[in-house]
Order: sequence, then structure tokens, then C-alpha cells
Amino acid sequence: MRSSPARSFSTRPGAGQRPAATVGLPPRVAASRIRKPTTLWLFLALLIVGMACVVPQLLAKKKTEPDSGPNDQKRAVHALNRLTFGPRPGDVQQVMAMGVDRWIDVQLHPEKIDDTALQSRLEQFRTLRMSAHEMVENFPDNQIVKQVMDGKKSMPSDSARRAIYEVQMARLEARQEKKQEKQQEMQEEKPARSASTNETASSSSMPASSMPAAPSSSPASMPAYEGTNAGSANDSAKTPEELAAAAAASSDAMPATAANANLATPSSASNSMPASGMSMLAENNAATAEIAPPTVKAKITDDAQAHRREDRLDASLKFQPLFDLPPDERYKKVMAMSVEEKLAFIDAVKGNKGQDFLIGMEPKQKETLLALANPQAVISDELVQAKLLRAIYSERQLDEVMTDFWFNHFNVFVGKGADRILLTSYEQDVIRPHALGKFEDLLVATAKSPAMLFYLDNWQSMGPNSPQGLGIPPHGGYYIRKPGDNRRNGLNENYGRELLELHTLSVNGGYSQRDVTEAAKVFTGWTIDKPAQGGGFKYEPRMHEPGPKFVLGHKIKPKGEDEGRELLHMLATSPQTAHFISLKLAQRFVSDDPPPALVDRMAKTFLKKKGDIREVLSTLFHSPEFWNDTTYRAKVKTPLEFVASAVRATGADVDDAMPLARQIANMGMPLYGAQPPTGYSMKAETWVSSSALLARMNFALAFTAGKIRGVKVDPVQLAGGPPAPADAALALSTLEAKLLTAEVSKQTHDSIAAQIAPAANGGMSASSADSTNTMQDRTQDRRSGQKQDRKPQRKPADVPRSPDTNTIAGLLLGSPEFQRR
Amino acid sequence: MPTRRIFLRNSALAVVGTAAIPGFLTRAAFGAVENGDRNKRLVVIFQRGAADGLNIVVPYAERNYYGMRPSINIPQRSVLDLNGFFGLHPALSAFQPLWQQRHLAIVHAAGSPDTTRSHFDAQDFMETGTPGVKSTDDGWLNRSLHDLPLAAPNTAFRAIALGPSLPRILSGNEPAVAMNNINDFSVGGRSPKPSLAATAFEAMYDHSSDAVLHGTGEETFDAVKTLKAADPGKYQPAPNANYPKGRFGDSLRQLAQLIKANLGVQVAFADIGGWDHHVNEGATEGQLANVLTDFSQSIAAFWNDLGDLGEDTVVVTMSEFGRTARENGNRGTDHGHANVMFVLGGSVQGGKVYGRWPGLDQSQLYEGRDLALTTDFRQVIGEAVARHMGNKNLAEVFPGYDNQPEKFLRYLG
Repeated sequence: MRSSPARSFSTRPGAGQRPAATVGLPPRVAASRIRKPTTLWLFLALLIVGMACVVPQLLAKKKTEPDSGPNDQKRAVHALNRLTFGPRPGDVQQVMAMGVDRWIDVQLHPEKIDDTALQSRLEQFRTLRMSAHEMVENFPDNQIVKQVMDGKKSMPSDSARRAIYEVQMARLEARQEKKQEKQQEMQEEKPARSASTNETASSSSMPASSMPAAPSSSPASMPAYEGTNAGSANDSAKTPEELAAAAAASSDAMPATAANANLATPSSASNSMPASGMSMLAENNAATAEIAPPTVKAKITDDAQAHRREDRLDASLKFQPLFDLPPDERYKKVMAMSVEEKLAFIDAVKGNKGQDFLIGMEPKQKETLLALANPQAVISDELVQAKLLRAIYSERQLDEVMTDFWFNHFNVFVGKGADRILLTSYEQDVIRPHALGKFEDLLVATAKSPAMLFYLDNWQSMGPNSPQGLGIPPHGGYYIRKPGDNRRNGLNENYGRELLELHTLSVNGGYSQRDVTEAAKVFTGWTIDKPAQGGGFKYEPRMHEPGPKFVLGHKIKPKGEDEGRELLHMLATSPQTAHFISLKLAQRFVSDDPPPALVDRMAKTFLKKKGDIREVLSTLFHSPEFWNDTTYRAKVKTPLEFVASAVRATGADVDDAMPLARQIANMGMPLYGAQPPTGYSMKAETWVSSSALLARMNFALAFTAGKIRGVKVDPVQLAGGPPAPADAALALSTLEAKLLTAEVSKQTHDSIAAQIAPAANGGMSASSADSTNTMQDRTQDRRSGQKQDRKPQRKPADVPRSPDTNTIAGLLLGSPEFQRR
Repeated sequence: MPTRRIFLRNSALAVVGTAAIPGFLTRAAFGAVENGDRNKRLVVIFQRGAADGLNIVVPYAERNYYGMRPSINIPQRSVLDLNGFFGLHPALSAFQPLWQQRHLAIVHAAGSPDTTRSHFDAQDFMETGTPGVKSTDDGWLNRSLHDLPLAAPNTAFRAIALGPSLPRILSGNEPAVAMNNINDFSVGGRSPKPSLAATAFEAMYDHSSDAVLHGTGEETFDAVKTLKAADPGKYQPAPNANYPKGRFGDSLRQLAQLIKANLGVQVAFADIGGWDHHVNEGATEGQLANVLTDFSQSIAAFWNDLGDLGEDTVVVTMSEFGRTARENGNRGTDHGHANVMFVLGGSVQGGKVYGRWPGLDQSQLYEGRDLALTTDFRQVIGEAVARHMGNKNLAEVFPGYDNQPEKFLRYLG
């Protein structure tokens, strides 16, 4: 893959002059920096001197001694690339000043690092501090709303919360009405349709009852033009593809998707319901099965669309004056509206308009307005935003990297029913506290977490011979099955299998189908107390399979809940687990195919230190393999790493992280959106594809041009401005130094320089600067919430264009170099 | 086989206006542009998550079926009967016309012989085409392009995957493109003239010494240019192609656009998730029914959309393994073994269920719990690769598997 010699850069060269900075770099990088023959001689001479002085001394290096040499710079860059989401401006110097080893040590102890700046950025997200139960109450799903409608639950007294419920109730009612109308229509259509079907049917008789799901699926209740998530076929899950597709559809600066909190997504609420809302959900989602004859569908759609377009135009004119009010007044005006007006308002302020409307409001006010449109999305969007902000701004970078790593290892998908309200606590209370702790604690915490119990179905798994499995009622007597109730209760293998395959032993860990079944029996009774209401772990003895279990040749004696603890302990201390976890860590921090000797040493540490993750990482970070030249920039960034590193490299200020999250989803990695329990791949092959590369290049250009909403980026300042450097070549070299830590390839440099060449002669630089400033002004406008009708300045058509500072920055972030870490 | 095709073609004019004729005949009759591209195409569709084959093509006459699935069975009165023994799940009604026109064939009790019940491994094995061998680093669909009789068309779109990343099945030596969305497939805007940024990026990736990024970059820029020239946006779905909303329908709609734009697509891949129903699978309605509706309507729309290009197209579906013959404790099913495959195409001898039915008696089940495997998926695909695509070097496409042409199911005419 890479042709650089297998040599270590962990050593300090004897000569510290500038050209020697290339000593440890791959030849192609070195070549790009040395262009004149005289420099070349100097370089060669220094190279020889440098090589002569190279003595492996990483381990001998005194920890307190600050690093200053050029190889130390490379070490600092490498450490930052691997232990963080990418270096920020000034980070390399800071790590060098502290000493790389000491910096690593500090990162391994995040509790010692002050992170208050991040905390104040997260302050705005109230759901991060809510229990799952509070989330359910504040951001109700349809099931809860229905309970209030049916009088089974009282209306909240708090006015903001009340407004949310009222709007959701009105929406639910409207949907039900529409559904009934549609059912009638379908009844009328039916004869005609059967006739035409019979024409095509040759021999097979079609009994009326086999008319496929048509009447009950009533397309009208969620017509396509409402922008519903019609592809959703799974009644408790939104697929990651859909999250990605939704993001892709709106990637061009505009939200309006199910995956985000915008004032535009009423319909997606139905997708995010906890499991116990399933029966109702099935109704809603069945509605997405569009089977109306095309002509009927077209007619409805056309008429309705025309109507809606008119209505929306009226509404948007009507609500326009609200935008000129101060934030607090805007909010109060909306809250004072009738339910019908609120619905019309939400419909009228879709997309960017909705975001503009929220500018300057208090967090709770924002959340309330967003919840009017889609209560459930508020929770997952805050979770997504917090993750991105942490990746970008946390000082405890290794802790964030490891939290991301473990979340992915113990993946739970946000789109599966109740997990939408359970993930916030899962990350905060289950994963994060153990990110650098003991593996067994982490394993036990995940096994008991409602999020995992729900995701892998264990909460429903029941011993076939348990009291409940046999249908024995709790207080004695006989259980009488109602007629038509053919439910069976029994074992569910899902968690048992993934526990062995993905969480601990790995697929080659030497277990059999029988081990999977027995493991599933062990965990029967590990369930959730009312998942839809955000309840916690509960051990239910009535669901537990009696008798001993045999897992991996080991007999587990009957002892209820403790059987699970015994098995988890067995798995957490298995050499197979030690090896598998070490391998995955090495794949994250070293390379896609890490050296087996390193993995073995890490596994040894794992066993010796009783699964202490910090110790395993310490073995890794102090291994020669980690500092080997072949390891340097060997990893291709995942979409999350790419976007986070771009924001960090530019020192951009993120106000709203959702647009960035949508970009990441568009690159194939919706955050919290990995549906299979495997989580996301960490390997290059997954993330290097045509569509992903194009998405990255386009993101880089849009981002540096200030076209990603909610992010303020200033490449001109990065290039030494304002004003923008008059000489584009100078801008290029400054930006190369800042964004690529000066390690730009000749190919990349020349490709961009070739675009600059005509400008140097044609006096285009000034005009580039103008256009850059314009971009800055526009960003300012947008942030202060003012309308901006100004068009970007157009250049005369006959003048050849030259890239401005923003574009140069975008080209560097889209370059092959920046795709690696 | 050609006889039937010619017969249909010649009789097309006579039957215009009746609902029973295949889409491409009416299109031809109405004077649609005759396709100059006689490339054979193979489209592979992967149902990720292990689809429940026993509830998709239901063995309703099998005496054990109903006993094993008390709450999730498809009642006999609800199935769309195929041959007196099997019936389609009612949500597959979109497949019924294709079956009746004999374009759609079914292979039951098929799949990968490997015993793994891991989604990840099993998908990997079906994509590499080497069950049980993990070291294979390329996919069989990519390898199937190595030895085609006709010279490879000079196109970036020879091998295409719809989605954000290139799947394992298409990775390998032959250039292959992953495309999420036709409209986004360019750098710095959609104007026909390449933007300054696009030129710079192209030069960067063209000359990069980073082997991984260089290779993909080169293929990407080729594809971008080709796509701009062909402007597939002008090929809108045929009137009778009603793609359902959603990612899978979008994938196939865009694939049809690329094929109609004559970009030289030879092999293509799309996938659809949401089949892993451990809980509340549903019966005639419910989770499985919903995803089957999306699945079948999308494929039927694709078939209608292709029109006469369907003649040169074969579509094969697969899923990593089937699900337990018995329902589990949560009205769902757990990971099983053999499954069902659909084959659709102009040259397919459809209207027939191929393969040997192993039965559902306790003694007939694989490991006492799953549908046993009677047809290796490589045998099904091997026939399409050899007889449809014309690649006779099956030993290279499926190394380690003795694919004997005389044992083909002969679902191709």
C-alpha cells in the first residue's frame, strides 16, 4: 500500500536543521520539499548526518524532557493522528512542548484533563441530563400521545409540554381521519382493481382474502408527498440506509429529514416508537406500503400537492412578520397560537427557515419548538450533536476515541424502538465510565443495560421451562389461554450469539451452536422493567430457565441471575477474548492488519492485568510497531474521523452540528445508525469508494467555502489574513503547513499550484480575496439570522478563474493525504 | 428458447393494449428506441440480515410447516399459489405477473453450505464466493468479469454498486464504482464543464502514490465524466415502473437509468436490509410483509422499467442464510440455514420452483432445526455467469468449488 521503508521515526536525529525535517518522511514527501539541486545536496548531507545519529531510544527517552527536533514533530503528529480526532492548529507544538510520552500519559488519564469548555458547549442539550423516563414524558411517542387521547394518562400541566402533546394529538387524529378516508376510497377502487388483476392472472385463483394487505395498509394515512419515510419496512427500526438516504436527500444544506430535529419532520415520529407501541406502529408503517393503482395515486398526489403548495405560500406570507421579532417574543407568539395555527406554522417554516426562526432562543424554547414538529427526533439529534461536539472540542480526546470505539464494539442501533430513548444513558453511564477501565466491568455493564437488552432482544427471551414460559401465573392457580392467543414464550438466541461472536470470543473463538443456545438460557430473566417508559434492568426469576447450563465445556450451576455473571466472567477472562479485543484495538490504532506479534503482546497484558484497558493501550502506545514508519498515516479515516478532523484542522466554530452529521451520514456512516450488531468497519476498504470519495471532496469544498450551515470556518485567517494573501502560492504553502502539518505530497502541491499559475500573472489574487470576503460576510449574515439576498460577486467571464483561499483549503482537505491519519 | 422470444416479439403488435404482455414488448411496439447495447447483464440483490425463506416462498402443502410456526405461519388461503405446493407470501403480489409471464424462477432450499450462523461471516462468504475461506480478498461478482468472451467495454460503469460503499462482492481487480446517488455524482457542481476544483482533485488523485486512493480516484473521475456525457437524468422511469419510496427502490430506479443510458453496465449490485426478525416477525402482515412489499415492488418496477433491455438481464437474489424452521419464543425466528433465491430475466425459464425440496420432518432438518440445503448458491450463480454472461472459467470465479455445467439447474433457456 505504502512504499515507505520500514524504519522507525521514534528516534531523535542529531541534526535539527530544517531540511532534516524530512528524515523520517516517506521519500515522496521528502522529494516534494526539495526542488533545487543545491538544496538537494544539502539535504543529502544532512540526511547522512541524521542517519548516523539515529539511535533507537524511544523507551529510554526521559518522560519530562520536552520534544523539539523534527522527528519529534513527526511523533507528535502521529500521536495526535491516532489518539485524537486530528490535530488542531497549535496542537503539534503543544504536544512537542509537553513531550509526546507525557502527553500520551495524560490522555490515558482523562480525569486529570480539564474539559469545562466542552461542557459549556453541551449545556444546551437538556436531554443529555434527562433520565429515559423524563425523555418519554417530555418528548412523547405516539403511544404516549394516544394514552392521553384515550384518557389513560393525564395531560401535562406545564404549558410547553402541553403544547407538544396537543400538536401531536392533532396530528395523530388527522392521520387517522385520512386513513379512514383512504380506506373508503380503496373499497371503491377494489372492484376495478380485481378485474384488472384477473386479466393478468392466468390460472391461479385468487381468493378475496389473499388480496395482499391492500385495504389495511391504506396508503393515504401517510402519503408520499408528506415526505414520509416510506421505505421503512421494519416496524421498530429505521434502517441505517434510510438514515443515510434521508441525509443524502437533504445534504445540500437542508435538513427536512427524519433523522434531524428540524421544524419540518412531523411524520418521522412514527418511526421512533418504543416496542410496546408496536401494534400501533404496524398500522402506521403498513401505510407506507404503497399499492394503490398508479393513476389514483397520481391524481391524489397532484391535487393535494397543488393545494399544499398554495397553503404553504399563504402560510409563509402570514408567518413572515414573526421573524422580525426578538427571539423570546417569537417563541411566545408561537406558543400562543391555536393548535391548528401551530400545525400550519410548522408546515410553513420547513428547512432553513425553521433553523433561522430558532436563532437566539433559549435551549428549552428551541427544544419545545422542535418537539412540536417531531418530539422523538429531539432526543436522537441532541445525542448526535453531542457526539460530534465531543469529538471536535473535547480535550479528553483519547477518552472520546475510546468511547467511540467501545460504542461501536458493543453497537446498539438508535432506530430500533425504545433504543432511541435508551442510547443517551447507554453511552454516558455504560460505555464512557469504562472506556479506559476494566473490560469485564464494561461487559457486565452492557449486558445489563436496557439499551443492549432491548437491541439484541434478550429482554424478551424466556426459559421454555421457566414458570412464565410454562404459563404458570404468578400467584398460583391455572393459566387460561384466551382463544386465539397462540403466543409462545421461549428462548431468543440473539444476544447469546452476539455476545460470543462480537463482544468477546470472536467468530473464530471455538464455540458451537449448542454454546449459543446454552448461553441464551443463562441470560433468561435478564430483562427490562417497562422499556417503553424508560425502565431499568430487572432480573425476573419467573422467566429464568431452570437447571444447569453447559457453555464451552463448563458447567454453570443453577443460581439465577448469578449464572449470567459467571458466564460473563468466564468470557471476559478468556484468552480468545483477550486476543480479539487486542486485535480490534490494534486495528483502530495501528493498521488494518496489525502485526500479530504486537497483538500477542497486548493480549498478554490483557490477561496479566485482568482486562485493564488502559494497560493494554499503554503496551500498544509504547510498542515499536506503533512508531514504525509503515504505521505512519497507514489508516484511512472513517467519515466521522474525516469530518471531525477537518473541523479541528481549521479551528472552525460549530454552532449547530446537525449539518455536519448529515454529511457524515451521506458518506455512509450515520452516527448511531449502524443497524447490524457488528457496528461500523474500521478498515480502509469500507470507506474508500467512488461515492464516498466524491462526498468527501464535495464536503471539503463546501465546508471551507462556509456553505455548511451552522459552522463558521475562516480559511483566510488560517492563511494569515485577513486580508487574504495576495499571492495565492503563498496562501497555498501556508495552508499546507497548517492543514496537512506540512506533509503535502508533490502531486497534491503541484495539482493545486497548476490551478494558481494563471492568477499570478493575471492579477487575480485581489479578486479572489474579494470573493473570499464576500463569503465571510455571508457567513456573518447567516449567523446573525438576517436575510441575505446578496448574490456572490460574479467575475467577468473572460478572466480565467483562480482558486481563492477557501477553495485552496478545500482542495487540501479533499486531498489523498488528508484522507489518512 | 430464442423461438419463444421471437414468437413473442413478432406477436407483440397484435397484442398491444392487453395487460398480459411483458413490458418490453409494448415499448418496442410503441417505437421505443431500439437498444444498441447487447451486453449481457447480471444484477445481484442481497437481502442482508437473513430473510425468512420459509415465509417468503411458503411450502404450504408441507404438513410440518403449520405446526412449527403456530403464530407466524402464512395460512394456505392467503398464499399466492405457485404450483400446488409452494405459494408466495401475499406481500409478493408484485411478483405474480412476472411468475405468470415465466420470467421469474425460484430456487428453494438454496444457499451457502457453510455452517456459520454469523451474519457477518455468512455474508462475507456469499460475497467472496468461497464459503469457509476467510482469506479471499475479492468478490465473485468482480471475478466474474475476468474472463468474458467479448472484449470488455471501455466504461467506468462495467461494475456498479448502488450505495455509499463498495461491497465485498464487487471488490477486486476489475474497476468497480459505488454510487449513492446519480445526482450527487460529481465534484463541485453539476455543470457539464469540469470545475476548477474537479480538475485539481483529478490531477491530485491521478498522480497520487497512495495506491488505494489513487485507484479509486481514477475510477471515480472516469465515471464522473462518463456520467456527465451520458446524462442519465433524462431516462425517467417507464410509466408502468412504480418504484416504492425508499432506499431500495431508489437504488434500482437509478440502476435502470444507468442501464438505459447505455453506459455498458455488465454487473450490478444492490442490497436491502431489515430481514433479521427475531421478534414479532408477523405473518401475512407485519415486519416481514412490509419489507417484502418494498422488495418485490422495487424489483417488479425495475423489471418493467428496463423494458426490452430486460431480455439481456438476469437478476439473482440471495440472503446469507435462512431462519429456523420453528418460530422462537418471541414470535420471531432465529438464524437458520438454507433459504430461497429468486431468478428473474428475459432468458429465464420462469414459472417454476427449481431445486430439491428436503422436507421439514424432524429427521430432514439440518441440525434438527433448520431447512436443509440442497442447492449450493454457487451452482445457481455459476449457471448465470457461464450461460448468461458467457464466462466459462468458473473455477476462477468460484475457486475450490467444482461447478459442473451438467449439474446446472438449467433455469436459463
